[in-house]
Amino acid sequence: MKRAAYILVRNPLSLTGVILITLVVFGALFADFIAPFPEHRGAVVDFANFNKPPEWPYLFGTDLVGRDLFSRILYAYRISLLLGAVVLAIAVPVGVTIGLVAGYIGGWTEYVLMRITDVFLSIPPLVLAMSMMGLLEPTLTNGMLAVTAMWWPWYTRLVYNLTRSEKEEGYVLAAEVIGASRTHIIFREILPNCVPSIVTKMTLDLGFVILIASSLSFLGLGVQPPTPDLGSMVADGAKYLPDSWWLTVFPGLAILVAVFGFNLLGDALRDILGVDQ
Amino acid sequence: MSAPTLRIADLGLGFRTWAGPVEVLHGISLHINKGERVALVGESGSGKSVTARIVLGLLQELRSARISGTVEFEGRDLDRLSARERHALRGTRMSMIFQDPTSSLNPVYRIAPQFHEVLKRADPAISEAAARDRAAALLSAVAIPEPERALDSYSFQLSGGMNQRVMIAMALANEPALLIADEPGTALDVTVQAQTLALMRDMVEEHHTSVLFISHNLGVVREFADRVYVIYKGRIVEHATAEGLFADPRHPYTRALLSAVPRITGGGIPEIEDVSEDYYQPLVVHEGCGEPEGVA
Repeated sequence: MKRAAYILVRNPLSLTGVILITLVVFGALFADFIAPFPEHRGAVVDFANFNKPPEWPYLFGTDLVGRDLFSRILYAYRISLLLGAVVLAIAVPVGVTIGLVAGYIGGWTEYVLMRITDVFLSIPPLVLAMSMMGLLEPTLTNGMLAVTAMWWPWYTRLVYNLTRSEKEEGYVLAAEVIGASRTHIIFREILPNCVPSIVTKMTLDLGFVILIASSLSFLGLGVQPPTPDLGSMVADGAKYLPDSWWLTVFPGLAILVAVFGFNLLGDALRDILGVDQ
Repeated sequence: MSAPTLRIADLGLGFRTWAGPVEVLHGISLHINKGERVALVGESGSGKSVTARIVLGLLQELRSARISGTVEFEGRDLDRLSARERHALRGTRMSMIFQDPTSSLNPVYRIAPQFHEVLKRADPAISEAAARDRAAALLSAVAIPEPERALDSYSFQLSGGMNQRVMIAMALANEPALLIADEPGTALDVTVQAQTLALMRDMVEEHHTSVLFISHNLGVVREFADRVYVIYKGRIVEHATAEGLFADPRHPYTRALLSAVPRITGGGIPEIEDVSEDYYQPLVVHEGCGEPEGVA
């Protein structure tokens, strides 16, 4: 713990990451208390105050139907973080298990599993997600599904490579010799040694999942209005550039802050956990 | 006389590869009596370690491996046992010590839970507290000061010599009949290696454990083993008692091997031929060292 604190304090970038993510998560969790206009998350119109530039009490200005952008961004973070968490909660266990099994068992199992993974990896992620969203209804659930489908192969690849090298370690052979079962070796011996790398990648990925999800909704394939979403807010505002610049700039900056923050945090975790990349 | 702890007769091993079959062992025979320490000496790639893996029943599960001949453990033919029965022997009746003790312990667990796993092999119901007590006793038997502290340490917090002691304690924890030591301590420096060897000798004497000692270090073999088999390219070339072998090496390969050891008194690095027709001369068996007649 001391070491972790030392690394954080010594590296201003890591500290920035921690601060940014703390703010984002805090804002999303307590949006109901922080947002000046919590009711603006939904379908509310206030034509008296529409399209206002940033001025008190509208910190980031208002959108075309008079809703406070700051409030909407906080609620949009909520959706983004939820989406990121759910995607990783599904993609990571699936990807990690496949990677472990393929890496440890080898032979035909490895061949089949890794070729399937390669097929998924060879499709451009955004195209895969877009076609899935095109086929399905564009809802939050389907958005998560689409992003999950493109995310697990990366974990399979990472864990597969880690497993291949961990497998050669003496403790795996020692476990085989004392008669440990395959399940024991895979999940109790090898997996714990992969955890630092997995956690680091998860943190980095939270940022990227948010980015991809925003891209999808920017294209109109993600979360549907009136639910606030950073990507669709940018898309809606883009038509009114440069006059109503705040419509685009603030949601855009919000995406940047989240992605940048998770990246810095991921780097910090990498240093703390001692993962070599 | 009871059956030897381990008896290998005419063991052959080949691998099917993309480039065609590769023969690794050309029918080797050896035996280890109860409580005996037998060394298998040879250069890298001579087939020492694969022999150990066959004894442990690990290679049998590999589909590309072709194994012929018989391996009998305590009078039971391993071939006739099911994979399940072979599995039951590992870690209970036979165990193994490796070259590098530090990498043989999983770095993410403290020593105590790893000991617990080992003890569970013999007694699946053993509680954590009971395992801990037993582990502490075993660790003090291998002269580890403050066993409680060692149990709460991670392998990387202990020195190589300490880890080797932990490994020895673990290997002997379930009172195996056979201990396979694959170049133990090669990764340690010489003083620590000498200490752990002395310790290992005392431990196996106390427990009457048979040992298959795999090594290329002749000095160590001389001190540790009762009998020695010299193996070259998958063939046993000489079989003698430890004193007999060092006093009177009869096979050309054994002589080359002995002269290859750099002398502490200087004289430069000895030059020996890498390959010689002489090395393929037939097996030399010293007096009184024959294989037991087939008691199947």
